[in-house]
Amino acid sequence: MTKLFDAKWKLFLSGAIFGLLAMLLAIMGNPGNMAICIACFVRDMAGAMKLHSAEVVQYFRPEIVGFILGSFLISIATKEYKATAGSSPLIRFLLGVMMMIGALVFLGCPLRMLIRMSAGDLNAYVGLIGFAGGVLTGTFFLKKGFSLGRNYETSRANGYILPILLVFLLILSVTTTLFAASENGPGSFHAPVAVALIAAIIIGAIAQKNRTCFAGSIRDLALLKDASLISVLGGLFVVMLIYNIATGNFHLSFTGQPIAHAQHLWNILGLYVVGFSAVLAGGCPFRQLILTGQGSCDSAVTFLGMLIGAAVAHNFGLASAAAKAATETDPAVAGGPGIYGKVAVILCIIVLFIIACTQKRKAGK
Amino acid sequence: MRAKEACYVLSFHTTADAIAFEKKAGETGFPGRLIPLPRAISAGCGMSWKLTKKEAPEQMQELLDSFGIEYEEVHELVL
Repeated sequence: MTKLFDAKWKLFLSGAIFGLLAMLLAIMGNPGNMAICIACFVRDMAGAMKLHSAEVVQYFRPEIVGFILGSFLISIATKEYKATAGSSPLIRFLLGVMMMIGALVFLGCPLRMLIRMSAGDLNAYVGLIGFAGGVLTGTFFLKKGFSLGRNYETSRANGYILPILLVFLLILSVTTTLFAASENGPGSFHAPVAVALIAAIIIGAIAQKNRTCFAGSIRDLALLKDASLISVLGGLFVVMLIYNIATGNFHLSFTGQPIAHAQHLWNILGLYVVGFSAVLAGGCPFRQLILTGQGSCDSAVTFLGMLIGAAVAHNFGLASAAAKAATETDPAVAGGPGIYGKVAVILCIIVLFIIACTQKRKAGK
Repeated sequence: MRAKEACYVLSFHTTADAIAFEKKAGETGFPGRLIPLPRAISAGCGMSWKLTKKEAPEQMQELLDSFGIEYEEVHELVL
């Protein structure tokens, strides 16, 4: 099974499969240039569970359940499941919160950044500068001895809890009216539950095998001159680019992009926070879900941090507003973060530097 | 295409340990280089230290012990 992805061309093809499935989900109803955005979907999930009350972004996304479940099932089937825990859980929780605040200031996780890039959104290219800068800053601290400490094997049941809980919540979301669901806005656009779940399980299972990670891709390139992980992203980008061009969704511009803003500084700094926190936490938001599925309780805690971070971002006005063109009745909106969002991003950067400077590897341990 | 060779691959508990090992190896002239943890070893995404069996020093185990850096395991792979 591990030989499935032992060459860069195979990794590229696996990324292309991600692209095809993302394309399928977009065709079947997910928001076009969101498709499988982790930050957006965790935010929608937080909204569905009424952790925040932004009415346009509430929907219990089966994709999040599917990514974790796919990784969980394949890792058990191939005997790679291993429940681990104990590596600075609350620092990881905080990193998850900050990862989400940064992503919601940019309006997307690194996965959506790539999807937006494939649709010609130049703001995402600007954001990439910040993301790469954040990853490189994190990598610098890794070289200086940053460490959250090692994890330890724990009872297998610890790793079962989150996947099983999410499946239970998904069942509740389709069989009851307990959860909120948007009638307008991004939360109201979604593929049928079964399609979303099956596609996400496939993506999660493949990602468990090919170790897709947006932060890891740049880290490996910078630190080890290894382009294996970035090959996956290449495949995803190429497929989405072809899809966007073929369907007339490719528009090379800063303005007129769906659910985006052109506040360049805040696009850069938002993704800087994501890149920096992802390296310190050992994986991008997507990778955290996959690690959760294969038994990492530390990543599960990071995921819970992301969920709370999404709620915080919307409850306290930290998330950016999307830019809007003027209409007959409403003036144009520039979009971007408000003052609280800007302050939050600066605070996140300060906290990230404090964590990076203070958490050091202990010799001999 | 590069020919595959029999190698030793050292895995570590943390990325920081792998990087500390790289520094120590540089100081002592210990052969090898950092590589992403081979998929055949683990589903994790850390780093590992690879050296070919040809370049491995005779007293490898003693040298590794003298570094004082905890490693997880020494694997034998063809890479």
